[in-house]
Amino acid sequence: MTHSEETSNHENPLDVFQQFSRRSMIAVLFVVAILGGTGLALILSPEGAVARSSARAAWLIPLVIVTVVVVVQSSLRKRRWNPASPEVKAIMQDEWRRLNLDRASRYALIVVLAAQWPLGLLVGFVSGLPAVRAAMAMATASITLGLITFLMLFLFFDRE
Amino acid sequence: MMTTDLTLTNSLKVERAKRNLTQAQLASMAGITRRSVNAIETGRMVPSVLLALRIAHALDVSVESIFSLDGVDTPIRPSE
Repeated sequence: MTHSEETSNHENPLDVFQQFSRRSMIAVLFVVAILGGTGLALILSPEGAVARSSARAAWLIPLVIVTVVVVVQSSLRKRRWNPASPEVKAIMQDEWRRLNLDRASRYALIVVLAAQWPLGLLVGFVSGLPAVRAAMAMATASITLGLITFLMLFLFFDRE
Repeated sequence: MMTTDLTLTNSLKVERAKRNLTQAQLASMAGITRRSVNAIETGRMVPSVLLALRIAHALDVSVESIFSLDGVDTPIRPSE
């Protein structure tokens, strides 16, 4: 039995759902990066180019999110993500997946905590923002960094 | 008293190959994912008792015939 025989069984419903779960995570990562980056740019420079562009094309954000959801959903090939189905239950309760989620969240927390000092220095002193906007920038940067780190690490740990 | 540096070894790949099963087939039989089977076979994951029992049940063997402890016993003196 070759490795490819073992790993390329895409007709297996469990594999289809697992690929869907992974693609969903990638889509969430993509959306978080866009929203977090845009939010941070708006806070740091409300009159900047990103703020002007996002004000002109604000309607694009929901459109992009819906398109991403439709594209990811289409990879299910006429199946439905039903939390009560045995395949979805097997994926959601999968030990390897849970282990990787735990590891990713632990490392993401460490990264966010370690980033507070340089972020505070950067936002509070270097950018010279007023206190309220500096706090908002810190919060947005921390949440975005944490989510991106968590999702990227999970996708890395959970790779084939 | 004995303390042990133990590692869990498994013959899952061998047992699976004996039955001519793919990882996906075994995963489906045990109600787990192929990635879990792969992670156990490559030693990246130590399964829980529940998962070990499910795999053994799916292969119709005892847990001990798939999983075993491989370690060196290190005797230590009791504190008192």
